[in-house]
Amino acid sequence: MRALLLKRLLQLVAVSWGVGTLTFFLMRALPGDMAYRIAASRYGMDAVDNRAADMVRAELGLDQSAWSAYWQWFTDLLSWNLGNSLVSGAPVTEQIWHMLGHSVLLALAGILLSILIAVPLGLASAFKGGWLDRVLLTISTALRAVPVFVIGLLAVIMFALEWNLLPVAGFGTPAHLVLPALTLALSLAAISNRVVHTEARRVFGSSFFEFARMKGLSPSQAFMRHGARNIAVPVVAFLGIQLITVVEGVVMIESLFSWPGIGHGLAHAIFARDIPLIQGAALMMGVLFVVMNTLVDIACHYLDPRGGQLS
Amino acid sequence: MSISLTTTQKSGAALLLLLIVYAVFGPMLQEGDAATQNLSHIMTAPNSEFWLGTDHFGRNMWIRLADALQLSLMMAGLCVLTSAIIGVSAGVLAATRGRWLDRGLDAIVTMILALPGLVLVLIFAAIVPGSFWMLYVAISLIQWIEYFRVSRAITQRLTHSPEVQSSKLMGFGQWYIFRRHYWPAIAPQLFTIAAFGAANAILMMASLGFVYVGIQPPLAELGLMIVEHFPYYSDAPWLLAQPLILLALVVLACQLMGRGRTQ
Amino acid sequence: MSLIHIENLTVWAGQTELLAPMSLTLEKGQRLTILGQTGSGKSLLAQAIMGNLPSSLRTEGKVTLFGDEVNAKQRQRFWGHRISMLPQEPWNSLDPLMGAQPQLQETYQLVAGQSAGEARQSADYTLALQGLSDSGHKRVDQLSGGMAQRVAIACAMAGGASVLLADEPTKGLDVSRRDQVVEQLLTQSEQGTLITITHDVAVARKIGGHMMVIKAGELVEEGDAEQILKAPQHAFTQALIEADPVNWPAPEPSTQTDKRLLDVEDLTIGYGTSALTKHLSFTLDEGEVVGVVGDSGCGKSTLGDTLLGVQQPLGGRIKRQRQAAVQQWQKLYQDPTAAVSRAVSLRTLLEDTIKLHNIDRARIAPLMQQLGLTDALLNRNSEGVSGGELQRFCMLRVLLLDPVFLFADEPTSRLDPVTQRDVSKLLVDVAKQNGCAVMLVSHDPDLIAKRCDRVINLNH
Repeated sequence: MRALLLKRLLQLVAVSWGVGTLTFFLMRALPGDMAYRIAASRYGMDAVDNRAADMVRAELGLDQSAWSAYWQWFTDLLSWNLGNSLVSGAPVTEQIWHMLGHSVLLALAGILLSILIAVPLGLASAFKGGWLDRVLLTISTALRAVPVFVIGLLAVIMFALEWNLLPVAGFGTPAHLVLPALTLALSLAAISNRVVHTEARRVFGSSFFEFARMKGLSPSQAFMRHGARNIAVPVVAFLGIQLITVVEGVVMIESLFSWPGIGHGLAHAIFARDIPLIQGAALMMGVLFVVMNTLVDIACHYLDPRGGQLS
Repeated sequence: MSISLTTTQKSGAALLLLLIVYAVFGPMLQEGDAATQNLSHIMTAPNSEFWLGTDHFGRNMWIRLADALQLSLMMAGLCVLTSAIIGVSAGVLAATRGRWLDRGLDAIVTMILALPGLVLVLIFAAIVPGSFWMLYVAISLIQWIEYFRVSRAITQRLTHSPEVQSSKLMGFGQWYIFRRHYWPAIAPQLFTIAAFGAANAILMMASLGFVYVGIQPPLAELGLMIVEHFPYYSDAPWLLAQPLILLALVVLACQLMGRGRTQ
Repeated sequence: MSLIHIENLTVWAGQTELLAPMSLTLEKGQRLTILGQTGSGKSLLAQAIMGNLPSSLRTEGKVTLFGDEVNAKQRQRFWGHRISMLPQEPWNSLDPLMGAQPQLQETYQLVAGQSAGEARQSADYTLALQGLSDSGHKRVDQLSGGMAQRVAIACAMAGGASVLLADEPTKGLDVSRRDQVVEQLLTQSEQGTLITITHDVAVARKIGGHMMVIKAGELVEEGDAEQILKAPQHAFTQALIEADPVNWPAPEPSTQTDKRLLDVEDLTIGYGTSALTKHLSFTLDEGEVVGVVGDSGCGKSTLGDTLLGVQQPLGGRIKRQRQAAVQQWQKLYQDPTAAVSRAVSLRTLLEDTIKLHNIDRARIAPLMQQLGLTDALLNRNSEGVSGGELQRFCMLRVLLLDPVFLFADEPTSRLDPVTQRDVSKLLVDVAKQNGCAVMLVSHDPDLIAKRCDRVINLNH
């Protein structure tokens, strides 16, 4: 477990270094008149002159040598000085914190909903088999074949545009959360219900489950005492693997629904070439990802006392 | 070595073959190209002249879709090939060539995995906007890891197995052991990873197109087309449906092919 | 009233009869031993009695428990407190996430109907009785195979069942541990009745009682165990009993050359810092056949790897007294399927070896004939041939390399008794003819006694 936490810590360092370096490259790769363009977008076309462009250049360190600029960039990063947005001029850290709340809300709602969908369906199809299993397999296969934004798009067309049940996009009321969370949940549950199914079948067919029955436990006693936890261990571990899907889903879904989270911010920043914001958003995504992974690690450790066998 | 495919895999392969034929030969069957606009023919429903209709700029959808599909398949093929070669070689070497190489590669993998794949690709895409080759580098950079991990795990398991020990005792060299022991164990897994990897590469590129940071207009790309056509969904639902269905079909074909006996 | 009475129990898969009609009656205190080879349908009989067959199989016949005729579904309600079955592989039959004590306690509580406090006391008492007081909190991955076996037997008995089925209860156990399990079974069965299913003639002899011999789903012989083992009537039973190493003919002494092959002085073997066996000293002459015995985990296989130079010794010296090429020091493996690539045909593998060492092709045919291998066999891959055939193929490849030393690591333990006798005989004979020294590892002292010139015991 300690080795695992150390590894996660290493990943935090790696995220900061990696994102920092990549965005640094990104900045140096900007075309020559970029400072001018950024200045124009910030101060308006009329107000821009060479002085303003020079200010931007200095702010981004474009006038320094590559190494000293890189060093400057890093000391700023380490002191959590992420600079100001090139578009709005507001401090990046402030914006990031604001977006983080929305993203976490969406991610948690999506994960929770996916568990509520996947666990009962997976268990039921493992118990019952037959037509239920085939129907679920078909739906799961179909959902897996379309990217998450297509699921979202279809949900918008059906629930918002055709039936007018829910708002198309935006945020503020609980109703705004329904479609984004449902979209994320569906894309997650499409895979995880099959994992629950497979693991449940494995446990139901295992020697220890059979022996639990043989020594006299009733089916429900055997399930409660020996089934549930043995199914939960690999399923929770799989949740860790699915975190990638969660984060990627969040990026796409936020963009689709204009949900003001980090993913939406990142996509926008990339489109607008707002480098400080790109760095901040990507950094936060990475940190969020590593933190969630760590939480899953801890959950696995708690559920599976054998420890260390899953990762 | 003969590979026997399941019915599911065969149907996936057939579907994929059909799509490849369309992507390669489809454009030859109709006149014109993917970029020519014709504002007097905007959003024509499919007819005998334009088999799949025209888009909001009057461009021929039959040709645009084939072009987009070509681009997706090319990306998928290149990414699979690159990441498989790099991943398998690195995996086998890590498991057989001493500790420091293993540790070093493991550290690199840990670093790359610290960031969700799509975010990494997004940043790469930002460095050179609209570049097919940048996307290719970024996606391969993520996908080689899966091949690496699987081939490393299999090789590690085998290095101390009786079969490898026996071959070593009989005097066979490293290359022989790779050919007769490691590769036959890795190859079947490779097929599955490659199929799902291809699907993911296609999805990744479409996702980037969808948030406007991937391939840039006027090039035809499936994700980009979906977002471009969305505003017209009530006037011309078939226009939005076409790239959607095509994307789903090509991803489904890959995933079906990857579904082996084990699942 | 008999505890269990079975009339014409049959098992069908569609229209195929897997198990011919079986009938048996057992009173309190009686024991039944069912003897048969792997795949003879004896496990089917156990599952059919329990009422635990997969739904694809169909049973016919009458099963009466405690005077009531009950169908398969009804029998499931008797599990644990009336009728119970020991698991074949106890290390797979205990919950991997739960300690031993809770698994035993829950049985006393939920099956035997004791209160939580009573159940805890019963569980602790039983564990103490089995010498497991300190291991109650351990999970199955922390228990040794023998400990897991005792916990599993205790769990199966905790519900108070008086009819106990044991399906291959000694599978994969050392001789000493095998005898412990048999003792435990005999003690437990005094209050009820015991049905033991085994392929091991030695186990059958120890448990005794009434005996049924089954071959391919058919009953071939039935009667008092002692009687049958002494004077088997059916040819199949005779073959089974003859295949038991105890009944093998005594070995012919090998013609020793007195030329030294190997000197081992004060050898310590093991992995990393943990030594498995220390201060081992012995010598080996050319053409000698030496047995290696010892409990599992004492380093029998590690000794082989160390002698072959695959693994470094932790201490001491190994001196090879004869100059021989690397490939003349060889090894045979316990599981031949794990030791041969399944990717290509056996012929390709043979060709690889021939090409690598420029072996004279004229030698192959006679050697194959001696080993009883047909040419057609070579067209298949390792999964297409039986375990005995594959082990003989391994011997073919090894012998073509003119070995001076062969470490045979339980080469016949995965084979059925008749094949085991033939292959082990062949191995020793061919090695002697070729002047190759053999170290033969086995967990069965009888087998070693009948095949080897002398024995190295790693337990001392």
